[in-house]
Amino acid sequence: MASDLLLIGKAGTVAARSALELTAQNIANADNPDYARRTIGLQEVIATGAIAGYSESAFGGVRVDGVQRTDAVFLQNQARRTASDLTRADAELAGLTATETAIEQTGIYPAIVEFEASLARLQSDPLDPALRAAVLESGRALAETLNIADNTLAQSGEQIRFEAAAGVDTVNLHAQELAQINAAIVRADPGSSSYAALLDQRDAQLARIAEQAGIAVSYNPDATVAVRLGDASGPLLVSGTQTFDLATTTNGDGTIDFAVAGAPVTLASGSLAGQAQALVAQRDWAIRLDDLAALTIQQVNNAQANGAAPDGSAGQPFFSGSTAGDIAVALASGAGIATAPAGSPAQSRDTGNLESLRNALANGGPASAADSLIFELANAVRSRTITRDAVSIIAESAQTALVTETGVDLEEEALNLVRFQQAFQASGRVIQAASDIFDTILGIR
Amino acid sequence: MPSVTNSTSAFYQRSLNQMGDLRALAENLQLQISTGERLAKSSDDPVASARLRSLSRTDRLAQIDADNAARASDELSTGAAAMEDVANIMIRARELAQWAGNDTTSATERELIATEIEQLRETLFATANGLSNTGRSLFGGEVPDFAYTMDGAGVVTYAGTASAGPIDIGEGVSIDRGLTGPDIFNFSHNGAPTDAFAFLADLANGLRSAADPAAAARDSFTGFDASIDTLGRAQAIYGARLTWIDTVQQTQVLRAEARAEEGGEIGGTNLADAITRLQQTLTVLEASQASFARVSNLTLFNSI
Repeated sequence: MASDLLLIGKAGTVAARSALELTAQNIANADNPDYARRTIGLQEVIATGAIAGYSESAFGGVRVDGVQRTDAVFLQNQARRTASDLTRADAELAGLTATETAIEQTGIYPAIVEFEASLARLQSDPLDPALRAAVLESGRALAETLNIADNTLAQSGEQIRFEAAAGVDTVNLHAQELAQINAAIVRADPGSSSYAALLDQRDAQLARIAEQAGIAVSYNPDATVAVRLGDASGPLLVSGTQTFDLATTTNGDGTIDFAVAGAPVTLASGSLAGQAQALVAQRDWAIRLDDLAALTIQQVNNAQANGAAPDGSAGQPFFSGSTAGDIAVALASGAGIATAPAGSPAQSRDTGNLESLRNALANGGPASAADSLIFELANAVRSRTITRDAVSIIAESAQTALVTETGVDLEEEALNLVRFQQAFQASGRVIQAASDIFDTILGIR
Repeated sequence: MPSVTNSTSAFYQRSLNQMGDLRALAENLQLQISTGERLAKSSDDPVASARLRSLSRTDRLAQIDADNAARASDELSTGAAAMEDVANIMIRARELAQWAGNDTTSATERELIATEIEQLRETLFATANGLSNTGRSLFGGEVPDFAYTMDGAGVVTYAGTASAGPIDIGEGVSIDRGLTGPDIFNFSHNGAPTDAFAFLADLANGLRSAADPAAAARDSFTGFDASIDTLGRAQAIYGARLTWIDTVQQTQVLRAEARAEEGGEIGGTNLADAITRLQQTLTVLEASQASFARVSNLTLFNSI
């Protein structure tokens, strides 16, 4: 029947054109990281149930069954999990690097050595006012360096807390969008291109949340997702259209805690987890820095208490304060430095007390304390850098594997263009043939 | 139809990662070459950095030690020069005494000799109160200003401390910064302890008023000899200390060189090595850029 042939030809051109459009869509989105490659599903159309005289079945052509989206749940999961690990390692390393900058680059160690050097120089002529002033000034430089380091650490902590607050907002924002997408997915028609676009958006939102905090995702049969923080036993963040707010609280020591819908939660990965870890590390290093300042204050002030100033009076404290934040020089002038042992007469050139201070500073004093502090900090930064580099390679390969699986291959699409164009032309010839047949019938006289 | 695809963006992502790694490596090498330092911060190599820190501390303190050694050397040289003056004065005084001890020398001449000896004594007093370049007493031990005082009657007394006080020249070595007045000017004459000032005053008085001035002058010869002996010993001590400081200074220079070398080995950039590795990295980077450009030009769209 010629009109059937015409219909089959028409169905063929429609299917080929849809396939061409889809190919064009794939090519247009070749660079879109959230886009998963689409393929078209075709189905043969056969009319069955015939009226007498005709065959039992008649060909009806082809129809577009639906748009299929390349899905790779396992690779998606792996990419999300490794991305969470990477952002955690990155955030922790950034915090530790800031700590290293604060403690090492401010030059605490050189300041301590300079203080020791000025004391050594004073020993050559203990009554020289210029050398005494130099000791006082290098002591002041040391105190101020410690102040700056403490202040830099505090500012860096402030910055990290600010970033963490922004990260929590991001998580909540994307969780709400995810709930809306969940609602839309239920209403969308599976196989439609809008359904595929919603799934793209769903995966994109999941990836954004995973950058901030590690998540476990469970997929429902209707393609909606439930999101839990941490692993599958963690608290729910998104369930259906419902979201639970993530919140952060700052403790007195500057560290932060997280809670979902009021219940405390510990994050193991994601940049929020890294930021929390960095803050704990910074708190601990700040304590070490305070210990260093306290050791300096105690050793120098002890020596002062055991000595006599050039005017014969008992030595007064050199430093005031007790932490890196409040250490300051207490002596008003270099004349207050007690170089001679207690009980020495005025204008004594005896440097016994100065020598015992130098010995105390050299053996287990601030210089070696600062040295081991910087060494341990550098080691911590170094090992975190190695971890970060390793995690980064894993995350990159997981991301590449995902993109390889779901991304658009331009060669394949070029091939499809030719293939579907030929299919379109062939269907056109079918229509031509139908028309010729019809004309032949009409032409009978 | 499932098929193994090679997604275009995966290709670009991989190429980007690889070239980014190479570029980071090249930049790191370039930084090492331009700063001459292999380590920009401690975490680049914690152990080497700790070693460098301890080297820099030793270096800074050694600088002070070297300064102190130079200062000690300076004070000892000044002291030794003043000692020469003292010795010359005593030798000149002994010549005068010899002249006065001659029985043919007239009373007028002895009077002149006595006057000159008194002037020599004044010069000796000024020399004994000499100050070092840093304004400290040369022979007064640890007193800040003058070693000797003279009262209205011209009697000279020592006002300094018993010892000169040590100066720390590093690595546990300390050295006395000089000798005190008594070490130089005190000696014994005829079994009784005396000092150069009292001795010269006695001699001048003897030449003027003794029953036999010539005998008094001759009697002083043994005293002069004892004094010059003392001065000779003191000069030997100064010489020995200066030599000792020289030795210490040479050691300090050698150690400073060794430290600089070690620091260079630990923290410095090995230029030949770094430049070769940079060239290698750049060659690989250029090659991967060229091959990336080639491969990315290969697209089916050019052929259909």
